[in-house]
Amino acid sequence: MQDGFMNIWLYRLGWTYVLFIVFLLLAPVLYIVYISFNEYTFGARIYEFTTDWYTLILADKILVASLKWTGFLAVGVMATAVPMGLLAAKFYKSTRHKVAFVTLMLSPLFVPADIMGSALLIYFKNINHAVEAFGAFLGVTWFHGFLQLGFTTALIGQIIYTVPYAFIVILITMSRYRDQQTEAARGCGANAWQAFWQVEFPQIKVGVFSSLAFVTILSFNEATRTALLKGGFDTFPNVLVSQMLNIGMSGESYAMAGIMAVVSMVFIGSIIIITLIRARGIERKFQPKAEPNPIN
Amino acid sequence: MAEPFSSTNTEPPAVEVVGLGKNYGPVKALDSVNLSIAQGGYTVLLGPSGGGKTTLLRLLGGFIRPTAGKILLHGRDVSGLPPNQRPTTMVFQSYALFPHMNVEKNVGYGLKIQKKTKTDIAASVERILSLVGLEGYNKRMPHELSGGQQQRVQLARSLVLERDILLLDEPLAALDAKLRKDMCIELKRIQEKIGITFVHVTHNQEEAMTIADRIAIIADGKIVEEGSPREIYERPQRKFTAAFVGENNLIEGKVINVNGDGLTMDAGFAELAAITKKQASVGSEIAISIRSELIRILDGNDGQAEGVQKIPATYLEEVYLGLTTMHLVRLPNGVEVAVRRISDDDADFGGTAGQEIIVGWNREDAGVHTD
Repeated sequence: MQDGFMNIWLYRLGWTYVLFIVFLLLAPVLYIVYISFNEYTFGARIYEFTTDWYTLILADKILVASLKWTGFLAVGVMATAVPMGLLAAKFYKSTRHKVAFVTLMLSPLFVPADIMGSALLIYFKNINHAVEAFGAFLGVTWFHGFLQLGFTTALIGQIIYTVPYAFIVILITMSRYRDQQTEAARGCGANAWQAFWQVEFPQIKVGVFSSLAFVTILSFNEATRTALLKGGFDTFPNVLVSQMLNIGMSGESYAMAGIMAVVSMVFIGSIIIITLIRARGIERKFQPKAEPNPIN
Repeated sequence: MAEPFSSTNTEPPAVEVVGLGKNYGPVKALDSVNLSIAQGGYTVLLGPSGGGKTTLLRLLGGFIRPTAGKILLHGRDVSGLPPNQRPTTMVFQSYALFPHMNVEKNVGYGLKIQKKTKTDIAASVERILSLVGLEGYNKRMPHELSGGQQQRVQLARSLVLERDILLLDEPLAALDAKLRKDMCIELKRIQEKIGITFVHVTHNQEEAMTIADRIAIIADGKIVEEGSPREIYERPQRKFTAAFVGENNLIEGKVINVNGDGLTMDAGFAELAAITKKQASVGSEIAISIRSELIRILDGNDGQAEGVQKIPATYLEEVYLGLTTMHLVRLPNGVEVAVRRISDDDADFGGTAGQEIIVGWNREDAGVHTD
């Protein structure tokens, strides 16, 4: 409606369409939450409201163990994917071949999850065989199980998946940062690290923290690659999928899924709103005022 | 090696660049530049956009690495040093203040890096804010300041470091005309007070004339000409300078006669004489330049004076510019020439478009350009 020419009903229709699409996307999630409060869970004819499934979550050992592993993976992903995304975003700003760089950075997202997972599985197994063979050739056992499927391989799989997202989220904030401020800091005597940490980082930290939150949620949601690369432990999404395929989801699983869905949505929604508010704030800040107090 | 720009003492120049070049891929932004700037002066690098002046300034500041040549600051080769290890600091066109720090923290940033005590930082910040006329603004955030005030904070942030060389990259370009004029005078005042070397880049010749002790004209990646503002304005040596600075009328032609006092040029429609010490051979292509305020529209009596060059022209139009009025006339070869007169002295002149007139100038006022 910014130009004032648009038909008001067309404008309202546009908003109705957007809300309809959002509702369509969120409806299954809301349904899960609805079921999680049913005494008789999914498929029952009767609906009796209860919060018992939520209180029983902690008693479910499989669920708790899977949550623990999911948490470890999320921490590992945060500690590696976000710094990698930040470095990539820094490099993006200095390279002249921006399109090529972005294409390369985002390329892991174009590979379907199951293909990427199986490719990594074969890759890790081959490396493992090769390194073990090398160890046998040397007559040592140090390399035994060098890259066996387990936490490290699952973590690598998740890092490959989340780095492009971390990169994009940081880049959005970083694109508003003016490099001349870094030059000004360097001109004031700061070395490259001081200029980054004291001048640039405070202005892009919203992007970095958003990126941390985003990759955590991605890690919690990732199932396919992790299922192929995790070895002998289970993550929460894997437990859910496994239950679904074998015995059907338990009431506790519905409750846990409901918690995660709501927390994710609130988290992501807050990040988007904060980022938008900050971005508008920064734009306003860079608008110099008309001379309010002439000095001369 | 270039002659020191404006110094007769034995100290090494504040800035000396030797054979300095910078390429961006196949583009030569700066081509084998030699320049020497004496200590304690206000030097302006003036030139059209894309001429290489900002590249030169950024090379001096250490923000880009030269492709060729050397940069010596106070006689020390700093070509490979980063900005934080040079005796320079820079003021940027876009204010480049740190938006998350207030005025006090912005100005004291460099001192904090130097690990000065809080008391020392506070005292230095107070002193420098007073110098730039921003007392009492310590706690304001950058977005609470006007453009002019932001630029003063930036200036304070650089000056507080007490470095020997201050680089200014189009510092006034973002300000409106009135503020730019005030800031020009302010910059000059500050430079004279603290006595360090200022190197200021601008494409605005009025700004350059107002503040500079010396001007270097830069175009196409080369230093075209250097001199004092008066030399550059009144006696430009190169044709490019004559065309770029002031409002010079250029007339081109071939030399047909050279004598002890000067030469005569055939402009195609008239033979024009000029007084010059420049060497030019008969048959060579040259140009003469006459500033618009030195050309006159002659009446019968004017033309009788000795040493006046007269040529016929056709009157085109009058453009009122406030203090002055510009009259456009066309020479017989089709070249349009500007004649500028003080508006108050111009009231009785009533030229009409298409009127045949005579314009003229004193022969010693014409500049001769062989390149």
